[in-house]
Order: sequence, then C-alpha cells, then structure tokens
Amino acid sequence: MFQIKPIVSMLLRNKSGPLLLLIQIILSVAIVANASFIISERIGLMSRDSGIAESEVFDFSIYNFDDSIDPVTQPLRDLDIIRQLEGVKAATLTSMTPLSGGGWSSNFSHGTSEEDRKDGPNAAIYYGDEQMIPTLGLNLIEGRNFYPDEVNAGGPELASLAIVSAQFAQDTFGDEPAIGKVMYRGNIGTQPMKIIGVVERLQGAWVDNDNLELSIILNVELASSFNRILVRADEADIVDLKESIPAALHKEHPNRVVRGFTTISEHRISVYRNHELMAAVLSMMVVLLLLITSLGLAGMVMFNIERRTKQIGTRRALGAKKRDIISFFLVENYLICLIGGVLGGLVAVQLGQQLMTLYSLPKLDLIYPLVTVAGLLVLTTVAVILPARKAANISPAIATRSV
Amino acid sequence: MFFYYLDLAWRSIKKTPFLSLLMVLAISIGIGITITTLNIYKMASINPAGERSSTLFAVQLLSQDVDTWQRINEQITYQDATNLLKSEVPVRQTAMFRTGLAVQTEDENFSPILEGVRVVEGDFFSMFAVPFLHGGTWSKQVDQEGGYKVVISEELNNKALGGGNNIGKTLMLNRKPYQVVGITKTWQPSPKYYDVNNGAFNDSEQIFVPFSLAPIEEFESWGNNNSWRHEDIRNYNDRLNSEMHWLQYWAELSSPAMQQEYQEWLGRYIEQQKALGRFKRPDAKGEISDVATWLTTNNVVPEDNKVLVGLSVLFLIVCLVNMLGLLLAKFLKRAPEVGVRRAIGASRMQIFSQHLVEVGLIGFCGGVFGLLWAWGALSLLASKFDLTESLSQLDQSMWFIAPVIAVSAAIIAGIYPAWRICSTNPSVYLKSQ
Amino acid sequence: MLSMKNISKVFKTDLVETHALRDFNLEVQEGEFVAVTGPSGSGKTTFLNIAGLLEGFTHGDFFLDGVNISNLSDNKSAAIRNEKIGFIFQGFNLIADLNLAENVEVPLRYRGFNAKERKVRVERALEQVGLAARMKHLPTQLSGGQQQRVAIARALAGEPRFLLADEPTGNLDSLMARQVMELLEDINKAGTTIIMVTHDAELARRAQRNIQIVDGQVCDFTMYQGEHGSVAQAASAPGKTAEIISVASAVAS
Repeated sequence: MFQIKPIVSMLLRNKSGPLLLLIQIILSVAIVANASFIISERIGLMSRDSGIAESEVFDFSIYNFDDSIDPVTQPLRDLDIIRQLEGVKAATLTSMTPLSGGGWSSNFSHGTSEEDRKDGPNAAIYYGDEQMIPTLGLNLIEGRNFYPDEVNAGGPELASLAIVSAQFAQDTFGDEPAIGKVMYRGNIGTQPMKIIGVVERLQGAWVDNDNLELSIILNVELASSFNRILVRADEADIVDLKESIPAALHKEHPNRVVRGFTTISEHRISVYRNHELMAAVLSMMVVLLLLITSLGLAGMVMFNIERRTKQIGTRRALGAKKRDIISFFLVENYLICLIGGVLGGLVAVQLGQQLMTLYSLPKLDLIYPLVTVAGLLVLTTVAVILPARKAANISPAIATRSV
Repeated sequence: MFFYYLDLAWRSIKKTPFLSLLMVLAISIGIGITITTLNIYKMASINPAGERSSTLFAVQLLSQDVDTWQRINEQITYQDATNLLKSEVPVRQTAMFRTGLAVQTEDENFSPILEGVRVVEGDFFSMFAVPFLHGGTWSKQVDQEGGYKVVISEELNNKALGGGNNIGKTLMLNRKPYQVVGITKTWQPSPKYYDVNNGAFNDSEQIFVPFSLAPIEEFESWGNNNSWRHEDIRNYNDRLNSEMHWLQYWAELSSPAMQQEYQEWLGRYIEQQKALGRFKRPDAKGEISDVATWLTTNNVVPEDNKVLVGLSVLFLIVCLVNMLGLLLAKFLKRAPEVGVRRAIGASRMQIFSQHLVEVGLIGFCGGVFGLLWAWGALSLLASKFDLTESLSQLDQSMWFIAPVIAVSAAIIAGIYPAWRICSTNPSVYLKSQ
Repeated sequence: MLSMKNISKVFKTDLVETHALRDFNLEVQEGEFVAVTGPSGSGKTTFLNIAGLLEGFTHGDFFLDGVNISNLSDNKSAAIRNEKIGFIFQGFNLIADLNLAENVEVPLRYRGFNAKERKVRVERALEQVGLAARMKHLPTQLSGGQQQRVAIARALAGEPRFLLADEPTGNLDSLMARQVMELLEDINKAGTTIIMVTHDAELARRAQRNIQIVDGQVCDFTMYQGEHGSVAQAASAPGKTAEIISVASAVAS
C-alpha cells in the first residue's frame, strides 16, 4: 500500500483516462444497483405463494345463450355432470378465477351499529360452494367449511356465510378472532354474513394490487347464463378433461359455448408476464453492462501497459518483482473502482429516489449498491490481473533502449 | 475528401480489429438495448387516432358522492349516457360497451362460437374511421328505435359466412337473427384507444350491434363495472337505472368553439341533474379529453416501459463513455502519423474530420449491429413472453432512428478524442524514434 | 524567400522559462542550399519547427515567400505547408499502413487535386527518386535509403518552393547517405530551396552555406564553393561574431 501516493499523483496528472473509467463505473453502479433491485423485487412478487394447488386446478366457462335453458337449475345440473366425470376430484361454480386478472372485489362493513361502523378492506370475492376449498386445495386453519345444505344458488344477495383468508382476518379484526364475526353489505344490518372459517392463504385476481392476499369465499352458487367453473384434477388427467367436459356438456344441451380450460399455473404465467418481461430485460441489461464495463477496464489496462512499457521496464530494472507490477495496476484500478463505487452508490440512491417519486417503485434497498460495488471489485480484479500479468513479463532490458 | 477519410477509417478499423470490434460491440449493445426498449415504448405510445386525435373526445362525469372514490371515472352510467346522446352539440357521438354473444349461422353444422361484441351507436364507424369492405353502418332509425342489424369484420365474414359480399344475409346472435348491413376491412387500432380499460392491447371486436338494442336484448357487460355505493341490482332494468359506471362515451367536436360549447352544455346538464338529486359533490363536473390526453391519463404506456427506456439511455451513455476511452487510446497511439500528416499540410480541421469520419463509421456499424440485436431481442421476447405483434414488431422508423442515434452518439463520444489528436503539437512526434 | 527577424521562442512551465531561440535572425535566398548545424539542445529543432510552420514563436517577424507568418490561422499555415514546404525527416515518417503511391499521394489529397492529377504527380515524383516500379509496396518492404527516397518523393510531389530536411541521412549508412545527399543536390539544382539540419560536418560542407546555432542564436556564413555564390552575412549577436567567424574559417581551411 506504500504505493498509493505515487499512484494517486499519477492518476491526477493523467486525467482523461481514469476520469472516463470513473464515469463509467459511477453510471454502471447506479444502473446495476437499481436494475438488480427491481429484478429482485419482481422475483419477490412472482414467488409469492397463492395458497392454491395451481397446476391441478383449471377454469372454464359455459355460456348458455338459449332462452330455454334455465339460468339457475342448469348450472347446478352441469356441475353434477362435471363432478361425475372420471378424473374430476372436485369442482365448483365460481365468480372468479384466482390470478386471472379479472374478477369480483368489494368491501364489507362490520360493527354493532351505524355509529361504530367500520368499512373493511377491499377484498376479492369468491362465490362458491362447499367444494371451493378442496377444489383450490386451500388449507383451512380455523373454523369449518360450508355444509352442502348451507349453499344457496342464485344471486350475490343470497350470501350469508363467509370463509376468509388469514390476511383478511388479520387486517380487518386484528388480534380478535374472526370466527363468528358478522359483515354487512353497506349499512350495518344489511345482508349479514357470518364468518365461519379462516384459510391460511388465498390470493385474489389482481397481482399488482396491495390487497392480493385479502379474499372472501361466500356461500352462493352464482348461477346465470354465463357460468365459470373451477375443477381440480390430477395434472395427467387435465388433457382428457378438456375433451370430455365439453362433450358431456354439449350432450346435455347443444346450444351453449364451452370454452377456456386454463390452469391456474397458466394464468399465473400470463398475469405475471409483464413482471417477468421486466426482470428479463433488466437482467439482460445487467449482464451486458458488466461485460462492457469489464471489457472497457481491461482495454484501458492494456493501453496503459503499452504506454508505460518503458516505465515498467525501468521499475523492473530497479528491482520491482512481477508481483509488484501486478499490484501496481491492481491498486490503481481498485482506487478508481472504489471512488467510482462510492460516487456511484450515491448516484444510485439518487436515481432510486427519482424512480420512486416518478413511478410506483419501492425505495432502493442500500444493500444493492453495496453488493454491486463488491461485485465490481471482483470484476476489476479479473479484468486487471489478466492483462497485468502480461505487463509483469516486460523485460527490464526495455529500460535501456532509447525511446 | 469524405471518401478518402472513409477509406482511411476502414484501414484503421482493419488494422486494429480487436479494439474496433470492442467499440462496435459496445455501441451496438447500447443501441440494441435502447432500440429494444424504445420500440416497445413507441409501439405502446402510438396515437392510433392520427389526425382525428384532436377532434375525438372521451367524456367523463364526476357523478359519485363525496365519501367514495375521489377520481373522475373513465366510464359513465347508462342514464347519463342516454341523456348525453340527446345533446345536439357534437357532430357525432356514441356510448358503447363490450359484451359477448354466441354466434351461429343458418348452417346447422356451424358450431356456435362466443365472440366479443361492441355495442355502439351507428356513428361509431365514421367517428373512428372504421373502413368498410361492403355496406356500411345502420340507419339513424335503428339508433332511435332499435333494430336487429349487425356490422361484422371481414375475418368473421370469412369464418362464419364463407366470405364474399354477404350484405343482407342473416347471422344468429344468441339465437336471434340479425341482418348483416356492413362488413369492415380488418381494423385493429393499437392501443385500442376507444376502450383502454379492458386491455388496451387486446384485439378489436369482430361484431358491432346497435346500442339501442341493449335494453331490449339485455346485453351483459364484459368490462369494468364500478359502483360507488351499494345498490340492489337484480335485473337488467335495475342496472340501467343504477349509478353504476360501465359505459364508455365519445363525442366528436370539430372546433375549439364547439368544445367550449359542449363543456358549457355539460355544465348545464350537471346543474339540471343536481336539481334532480344526483351529482351531490360540490365539485361535480364533466370533463372531455382528446385522444392524446386520454392515452396519457390512462397510463396506456406502462410505467415499466418508461423505466426501461430511461435505464437503457443511461446504458447507452456507459457504452459511449467506454467507447470514448478506447477511442482516446487508439487515436493517441496514432499521434506520430497525425504529426506527419499535419507537417505535410493537413489542417487541424482536416485531421478532426478524418477522425470523426472514422468514429462515425464505427457508430454506423454499431447501429447496424444494434438493429440486429434489437430485432433478435424483440423476437426472443415476443416468443418467450407472448407479446402481441403490435408491440414486438420492429417499427419501420427504427431502421432510420437506430443508425442516426448510433452515428450521432458515436460522434458525440468521438469529439473529444478527435479534438485531442488534432490539437496536439505535431512537431513532438516528428523526431526520429 | 525566408526571412526571420528577432525571432524568439520561450517555453514556459510552472517553474522555469526556457529560451529555445533568442533574437534569432536569418535570411535565406531563393535556390540556396543551407545546412544548419549545432550542438544538441541548441535550438535547431525549434528553428526547423518554426520554419516549417509546425510551431508558433513568441516574438519577432517571420516572412516566408513574402507571406507574414505571425498569427496565421491553422488553416492558412496548413495550406502553406502543403503548397510551399516539403518535409524530410530523419526517421522517414512514412505512414506504415499506406503503400508507396498512397504515401506520396497524401499531400496531394490535402491539396485537393483530382484523381488524375494525383496519379500523374505521384508517378513523376516516384520516378524522380527511382522507385516508380515499387509503387504498391509497403514502406516496411524497403531499405532505409529507399524509404528516405520515398519520403523525398512525397515532399516533392506537391512541387514545394523549399524543402526542410531534419537529419535526412541520420539513420542511413554512408553509401545510402551519399545517394540521398546527391538526390537532394539534384533537387536543389532544379531550383528548390533546401534547409537541412544535420550533425554531419562532411554533409554540411557540401551545402553552399552553413549556419550554426548555439544557445538559440545563429551564426551564419557562406562556403564559397557553389556556383550560386552568395554574400556572406554577419551573425546577429554582435558579441559572438568574431568567435563564430573564427570557427568558420577553421572549418574552411
């Protein structure tokens, strides 16, 4: 380290090259830190557990456009037909498909009177029957499921019992037990719905919504001319069911459209597509940026070696060991890299701040600039040592030749 | 002289292939990334209305009470829509929504398909410049009284009716016979600006039916339905009379005077509704936005795209700084040769130009390779992430933009090294080695 | 042809001022062959750089072919170098990437001649130095003497009014040096003014006139042996005149 002082004075004398390298490192740190932060944030979003047996559950829709089809009884018959089919483990009518990007949401009120009425958070509303929990493969942690005879067929106004996600219970009632609580639609007293069960996890349809984990299942088989059905089956059976379900339903009545057949896993892919795209493009950027920066670094070192050939030869003639030459170049570039890293970290935080105010991105975590700088030091070592080894082989005899 | 410089530049590039390749690589990657993100951004931010952009206006009403959401919704209620349709100010206007209907034909073997359907006024087609292959829109009388008329796309015409001029033929929608009055040419505005809330980059509908049929046929709404208060909606009539926001509304206002007049009309309408007990907010208002404003306020271009474009511009700057360093190294190594040229009679300007031409050539190569990168990256992203074609195809303007950005960026990076080399004192390098 | 009056050149660094030339006076007539000698560090190179318009000067007047050189723009001085001056260097300074024809062509390019004119002049210049047959060769394929002849061809291609030669034979063995020297004498006979800086006293003696530069000042005397016999001129620095003349007579005797 005794060499730092001459190196600093050399850097100062020879401004443009090191300055350019410095700018490059500052910008690289700023970009890489922010990009990798966004990447990890997106990966975090994508890896959230939905609470659902995603690959075993698929949805489809039945559209009964014939007026002669009864909109209430026919869906129930259809459901029976589907449940009879080979391979179907469970099935339910539903108002929405998890992770699909479309569905129902609402907020209910609770309290003892209008005066102390509290409006609960906005939550995804699943209307379904007692097979909703087994179909989605949810984990019931408190209370009980609906009994079959508690489920009503018809419109949303028939709901009277609710099963909620643990997150919903927590956000709405805090530490008080949710079981037994009653929620109302609008004013206190209007259409009471009693909570009888809590599931560990159930996500809604909108993955970018803060309330993704807040969900409610209500005891209604929502029957109309347009019905959505969720089916649980072994992955291996799903292909066959895509054939046998429309066949059975058309056999029951030809004037209808049966379509869809998308597993929750497939819904997940498409609903997170933008995040995955963002993460992919940014990863590409980070890799290429590091590549370019290290190539630039190596290029500068090579250039410097060429320019300082005589100087290196002289140092060697004066007794410098090969190791000294390599460490000379290393120290020089570590210095630039560290200064660039510190400044780059500041720029990164500033850039993160800008991104946070301009766009709905969270605040940059400080660990990212730190890790970036650490990574850059490793990269510098590699990018410097390879060409510097060549420099160390310069013969001391060079010094005696005239320029 | 330009071609002489070009020749020298080419020799120089060939002489230091590794360094040149490094520079071309750096700039091409920078350009590739920038063009990729810029392309996605540009394709998402196109204003598909063209010159209609400034005369077509989306109409919004702040009709809800105070204690619910605060922003002005993109959609309006059915009762407001039917009232607005009575205004005589706009040249043309339409309320609309998206539904789905089962399509059958008179052919028994044609198995029913469920198609997205747009429910519109007859003016819709001329407002949004929908091109017709055969026929045209339905009559004003249909808009007034309702009538089973339908406009279909060329694509559906081919699929369901076997193609050709099928004006007058019958199409069964939800088992009701509709008479085909118009067949449109393929029409696919992207973004789908007339309804940005239900997938701005989704396909256009293939079927258009009269808005006047909505109360009769009770078309379901296949879009967002926003209620700001609890209403007991048990049937279609309840929906029509409710405060639910579920319709899009557009008016064509051809002059600023007309826009002013319409604003005033909306103001009077709101006052009138207040008298009837609706529009309870003190700041209740109507707003009109032309297409460009509409696309901006609805954030049709995802924020992610903007972040990506910003980061890739920074990326390009890094590539340029990198290139600047390499150029400096390369040019200064050539100082003795430049000294000779200066002695022989080259002016500073000539040396400067010679080096800028070299930099420009490197930039141009970078631009060409950058386009290839961008094309590759877009194809890769398109196949991996199922991007719609409208977002992933390389916009034609990029064939021009990419080399221009590349060359000008390279020249900006090259100015300093070129200036350094042309301003060094030649005599220093002329002494024998 | 060339007239320098009271030229001085000062190099300034943070700590010291160095006077490379002090009150430097020189007149060179059209058609002269002048050899410049002097110990290293005396200011020979600075003189050559100023004479060749490669460097500016601090004080004094400098006229070249009637043109006032002080405060000339870069474009103008480049044009003068291109049209009126030919350079010959000790290290030849051929551009390694260009073949002989292309090297000779360089000044013609900057002059703005068209392709036909360039071709004619390149061929003529290379013929003059006896290398027309090797036009397409690269400099590295030639011997030092041949390279220097190419450099002379390059200097001649633009038909300059005078040649500045900086140790033209310094890197050559004696046989080649003699050839190059003979070539320069032929060129001089054809009417081109030549100023040659050299260490070699024997070469200097072959010129019509010798100038010695000592400590940035000039001593100028003429060898009465050429047919262009010019009048001897007294040196500028009065105090040193006698000494220098005695040196000159020592050389002459």
